[in-house]
Parts: sequence; C-alpha cells; structure tokens
Amino acid sequence: MQEPVVQGMSYEQVYQGMKERNVKDSTDKLTKAHVTIAGAGGLGSNIAIALTRIGVGHLTLIDFDSIELSNLNRQQFKLSQVGMPKVVALKQNLQEFNPFIEIKTKQVEVTHDNVKELFADADIITEAFDNPAAKAMLLDAASEFYPDKPIVMGTGMAGIHSSNTITTKHPRPNLYIAGDGTSKGAEGLMAPRVMIAAGHEANMVTRLILGEKEI
Amino acid sequence: MVTVNGQQESGAVGQTITDFLNKRDAPIDNIVVERNGDIIHRADFDHVKISENDKLELISFVGGG
Repeated sequence: MQEPVVQGMSYEQVYQGMKERNVKDSTDKLTKAHVTIAGAGGLGSNIAIALTRIGVGHLTLIDFDSIELSNLNRQQFKLSQVGMPKVVALKQNLQEFNPFIEIKTKQVEVTHDNVKELFADADIITEAFDNPAAKAMLLDAASEFYPDKPIVMGTGMAGIHSSNTITTKHPRPNLYIAGDGTSKGAEGLMAPRVMIAAGHEANMVTRLILGEKEI
Repeated sequence: MVTVNGQQESGAVGQTITDFLNKRDAPIDNIVVERNGDIIHRADFDHVKISENDKLELISFVGGG
C-alpha cells in the first residue's frame, strides 16, 4: 500500500520532524495513547492542540456546543468557524497540525448515564468543562465506572491573578486537578490564564502517558 | 469529632451527606465527597450518614474552562 501523503507531507516526514524535538523515546508511547477530552472550549481546545502537536495518536473530543463569538477570546477557533459544532471545528484545526492521528468526535452532553460508554476506550480521562456541576458529575461517575483510569481535571483559571497560583494537585490516587481552585468564571476568562491551566492538564496527561504518576 | 479537609469539627456525626453540605451552605452540585479514602457517590448522599472519626475531603469545583 502506498504511504498516504497529506498536505504534501508523508507520515514519515511529519514524525521525523516531531521526533527531532520531542523528548527522546517518548513519541512511540505517545502514538499508542488514547486520551478522551470532555469539553472542547477554553481548556479542551488548548489541551487537544498540545497533545496533537506531540503526536498523541488517538483523541476523542466530546462537546455538545457550537462556537459563539464570545468563545474566541480564549478558545482555539477562527472567526470563519463561528456557528460550527466545536468538536467538528476543533478536529478540522487539529488535522492541520497533524493529519495522521485518529480523532473521534462526539457532539453530546456528558451525563452520568453516558460516562460508561463515552470513556470506555480512554487510557486517560481529561476534564475540560466550564460548568462546575459537570466537573463534579464526571469525577463522581468516573470514580464509579472507571476507578483505575487516571482523570485529569481543571478548576479555577479565571481573572488576571498571578500565573503562579495555578498548580497541579494530586488529592487521591488517579486524580489530578490543575488550577488555582478558587477563581470563578464570572470574573472573566481570558486566553493567557486559561492556557496556563490547559498547559498544566496537557503536561500531566503527557507525564501519565510516559509513566510519570507524580505531579 | 470528624475531620473535614484536615480540620477537626464537631456536630457532624449522624448527619447525612446532604444535610452536612446544606448546613455549610456548600454548593452541593459542585462538590465530590471523599470519606476515609472512598468517593461517596452522589446517589448515596441522602442516606449515607457521617460516623465518629470519619475523615472527609470535600473536592470542590468552580466554573470556568
């Protein structure tokens, strides 16, 4: 079978370039990993881009929502994508960075009733919701259906507080929570600080894939 | 006495998780409760009662993402 060429680049070329700068011996492990990201907004779009760039091989993106103009101050979408389902637009954007990873999209609302099905094939569950009740629901349900899967979450990334108040915590086995823990969305949510929290989540996911379980 | 997020508290023994959170004015939907290392599932909040010497951790979430 002939090797596929996308946007003028072969798989070999893209991965050779990636391996030149990825941490030594990480890329093959990343290529095999399956990360499911719940929420494709400020956290989720930034997490997905980071994981795509380093070659995480299988991503599932879940979000029920469509893109609005008020999303664009922090979410990785374009003016031309306003009105599109977030998961569809995000997949489009990710494929421009790396067309060779597998990206599944699910335009549904995550509820206690569908957590078991939605996260069945995930190695790592990544929470990237806006709504605090949805965050709590997902931790509750994940601990019920998948107590042995790591779950990486975010809470508190609003306002213009110091970057250095955002940390990753590890309060119980398999649970990692990034954020300042207190700043609420009503303060306003802006790309720089949301991206810090997203970076924390994405780096924790990366560490877990590569066998580092500590924060 | 029970321990809540590392602090000793009295008066909680015998309360259900729902009553305990409501008395603290805690936003119940945004909280996951861990007792003695195990998560108490939301469906059990109304009937699980707090016992003497329980260690509770309230894992709270705020909005934004």
